[in-house]
Amino acid sequence: MCTKACMVAQTCPELVLFWTEMRTLKTSEAAAMLNVSANTLRAWERRFDYPKPQRTAGKHRVYVHGEVAALRDALRDGLSISSAVSRARESLRSDTHILVGALASFEPERADGALEAALAMRSVERTVEEVLLPSMAELARRAGTDSAAWAIGSRWATDWLRRAQRMTPPPARPGAILIGDATGDELDAEAPLVRALELFVGRTGIRVASVPVARHSGVADLLRALQPGAVLIAGRSASDEAVARFAYAVRAAGGSLPLALFSRGPEEESPTSTLLHLPLSVSEATAQALALLDGAPARAGGTVLFTERSNS
Amino acid sequence: MSAHRALHVIGSPAAAPAGPHVVFCSHCAKPPAGGVAPEVGSRVCASCGLGLLLEAPEALAPKPRDAFLVVDRSLAVQGLSKRAEKLLGLREIDALDQRVTDLLVPADAEAAGPHHLSALLVEAASGADEVTEAVVRPADEFGVRFAARIGPCGPTPGALVVLDLG
Repeated sequence: MCTKACMVAQTCPELVLFWTEMRTLKTSEAAAMLNVSANTLRAWERRFDYPKPQRTAGKHRVYVHGEVAALRDALRDGLSISSAVSRARESLRSDTHILVGALASFEPERADGALEAALAMRSVERTVEEVLLPSMAELARRAGTDSAAWAIGSRWATDWLRRAQRMTPPPARPGAILIGDATGDELDAEAPLVRALELFVGRTGIRVASVPVARHSGVADLLRALQPGAVLIAGRSASDEAVARFAYAVRAAGGSLPLALFSRGPEEESPTSTLLHLPLSVSEATAQALALLDGAPARAGGTVLFTERSNS
Repeated sequence: MSAHRALHVIGSPAAAPAGPHVVFCSHCAKPPAGGVAPEVGSRVCASCGLGLLLEAPEALAPKPRDAFLVVDRSLAVQGLSKRAEKLLGLREIDALDQRVTDLLVPADAEAAGPHHLSALLVEAASGADEVTEAVVRPADEFGVRFAARIGPCGPTPGALVVLDLG
């Protein structure tokens, strides 16, 4: 059967990596691969938080093949389950070292390969959160964001994230989010983080559009077309004045849409602020942004992670 | 004049021959069914599911409820039994890769300092087929000491420290 993946691969072979199916295992398959019972797998999840299953739409556990395979290999000559888990985790972390090395050496092809290998072991979201973003942070720390390595690496990362977003299936559920991009330019230290937010939101199946906060002219037309249920301001480079003008334009045209900030300080919220601060974890921020669409207070683990404050 | 018992130095415990090897779980110390590790399949303990099956000389191997540590050749902690976790107030996952001498130090007046304990452990982890004894205490506690049996374990080479809780 011809899949969408193979059609994409035929027309756009360089993008095939985004359709690399992350191989997952049912609980029984993972247990069989490790030669343990399903109960033991769940006991390891509780005690070691590894292997960490994802959940299907039906809430069933599915395990990433790469994580299970890494653990199987480590168990062969481990001295305890803890040490095997540690070695399995370390083998997965090596993707980050390879990616940073490739980018610092100006080898984008090798960086593509590193991310492709990471994708075989993880979902797109986890690849971005566990490999790509930490690698960019490490590159910025090592070389500085004013370096040639950052310029090449940041461009490579944002290109990768944009390509991944283009390969995202069309919106399949109601709801839309508008992102006001408050980063400076494509070499902004936070550009990869904001592109990752766009990607994650888009992959939830809702519509997402991103526009620089400085380009608020004609935003009313955009709001009519997109009909967003929430607006996120992402990035810290644009001035407060520019953000305020954007927010005013949005609210003037779209009414009192819920507004939230992502990766935009200060850490301490002003007591007069009506804006909500989303967590820096892209997946958590995405979950909370979706909660905004539902009109529900965004929570994680039962704790309110941001509070709405009134002007009164 | 009262008669005082004369203090006298006793010799270091002699190394005992290792004897036959037995299999036990690195977490609960229970032996597998039949007492032998399965030739094919998992080394994971079928009883508790939280430890790997290791082998050690019978004179050294822990009994269920014994406190013991598994150390690699670099003297980094690789495993902590359930009882040892309670005894040292430390989870296995937190003890992992710590130097064993950060957790246990010699408490034997006759021992030649911490190097003696390290030497015993290195020797055991290198596969010396004998079981030795030492007196140790938790690194952050005084007034508590344990007799410890030290020897090799496997199949991956390591040293096993079994604490005698009396």
